[in-house]
Amino acid sequence: MCTLDNIIQIIGKEVARLILGLIGVLVVVVVNALVLTWVERKVSGHMQRRIGPKEVGPYGLIQPFADGLKLLAKELLTPANVDKPLYYLAPVIVFIPVLVSFIVIPFDGFLQVKDINVGILVILAFSSLSVLSILIAGWGSNNKYSLIGATRSVAQNIAYEIPLLLTLLPVVFMANSLSLRDIVEAQREGWFVWRWQFFAFLIYFIAATAETNRTPFDLPEAESELVAGFHTEFSGMRFALFFLAEYTNIFIASAIATTFFLGGYLGPVLPGVVWFFIKTYFLVFVIMWFRWTFPRVRFDQLLNFSWKILIPVAFANLIVTGGILKL
Amino acid sequence: MIILADVMFVVLILITILGALTTVLSGSLIYALMGLIATMFGIAGLYIYLNAPFIAMMQILIYVGAISILIAFAIMLAGPMFKRPKEWSRPIKFISGAITACVTFILFLNVIMRTEWTTIKAEPIKTTTKELGRALFDRFMLPFELISLLIVVSIIGAIMIALYSRKER
Repeated sequence: MCTLDNIIQIIGKEVARLILGLIGVLVVVVVNALVLTWVERKVSGHMQRRIGPKEVGPYGLIQPFADGLKLLAKELLTPANVDKPLYYLAPVIVFIPVLVSFIVIPFDGFLQVKDINVGILVILAFSSLSVLSILIAGWGSNNKYSLIGATRSVAQNIAYEIPLLLTLLPVVFMANSLSLRDIVEAQREGWFVWRWQFFAFLIYFIAATAETNRTPFDLPEAESELVAGFHTEFSGMRFALFFLAEYTNIFIASAIATTFFLGGYLGPVLPGVVWFFIKTYFLVFVIMWFRWTFPRVRFDQLLNFSWKILIPVAFANLIVTGGILKL
Repeated sequence: MIILADVMFVVLILITILGALTTVLSGSLIYALMGLIATMFGIAGLYIYLNAPFIAMMQILIYVGAISILIAFAIMLAGPMFKRPKEWSRPIKFISGAITACVTFILFLNVIMRTEWTTIKAEPIKTTTKELGRALFDRFMLPFELISLLIVVSIIGAIMIALYSRKER
């Protein structure tokens, strides 16, 4: 493998790491989406006493590939009255936060593209771009259902971003760092869920479910009233990009919960990566479980729940944690 | 590596300026907002260039994540295909705006030309979040608290406006 060494020497170690990391991230994004579409159908099926997909391949395992091929082969339709630049831009922008977030997530002690000392801020800052892309998509489509979906999404994201930030802050206090790897290392003595942050974990998880637009908080794309919400006018590969981003966002939300509250890659016997994926996919499963357990909330209930319950509780938790740490 | 850094700097400046121009000149509200967001990203990039990643991330978090989204929410109420009406952009307005801009530019240019710029060869200082926090709660305690007071006052004001307009109905 002397040629590989030569290449690394020419372009420099940092750049080589970044390129490898980017390839790895793209592979994880695609594989994760393929796995999750299959898991989602199977979980939904079994929860409704159906079997789910089973025709294509053993246990329907090839089904996601068939779906992907179908979406790839579809003609890209552009409706006549859309705002073209915005319409083309939206599915691209939705991918920026997804890719950036993966750079700082520690899959293992060393398996991380780059450990940035303000890691969690990078994820939080760029995650706001996904709202922006929903907004552009809804606006550019020039369709009433899309616009209503986008408006709802913006209101929902403003409301739920605040408890999300407020529940991550006490963990940052306790770990004394914004770097995700330091936060995981600070949990060697015990996971933060069991060290006073149980309520923070609950609130984070509820807020994260809302941020990823999943049922019970899926008002931006409520099928029964808005057709498909903000992506009504998107078809083929453009729709597939939104879909990919949605599943990756679920993964990222669960990965942050794992890193902040469930000890990240720490665990006995098995290697760190395996532990990380077990914990993360368990949380993803819980999010899917929510979908078939809770009915969709009404819009005023959604906003009231965040502003009147989640935010005060999160604030109280923040103050108590700060007080205890100072004593 | 120096060349790459220079190219990045020029790209960031271009993003900032083009975004600002779009914000001012675009007739469509949503495009103006897009321009504003591009400008914010350009400025955040400049902060990273100045070795202050924390400030850069805060710039994106607050200006893109919170303020731009709030502006977007307000724009949403204007209707999707809203364009600036012709009578809003009369020549008198344009001329007075241009004069104001020119005067401001000359004033700034004057200040910039008078300042003696000393270039230091050393690496820029890396400010950590720890030092930032110390500075905020030590040296700049009073301005920090005053800003929070200002925010409290504005929130109370907003609540009062909402309450009164509701009563009038």
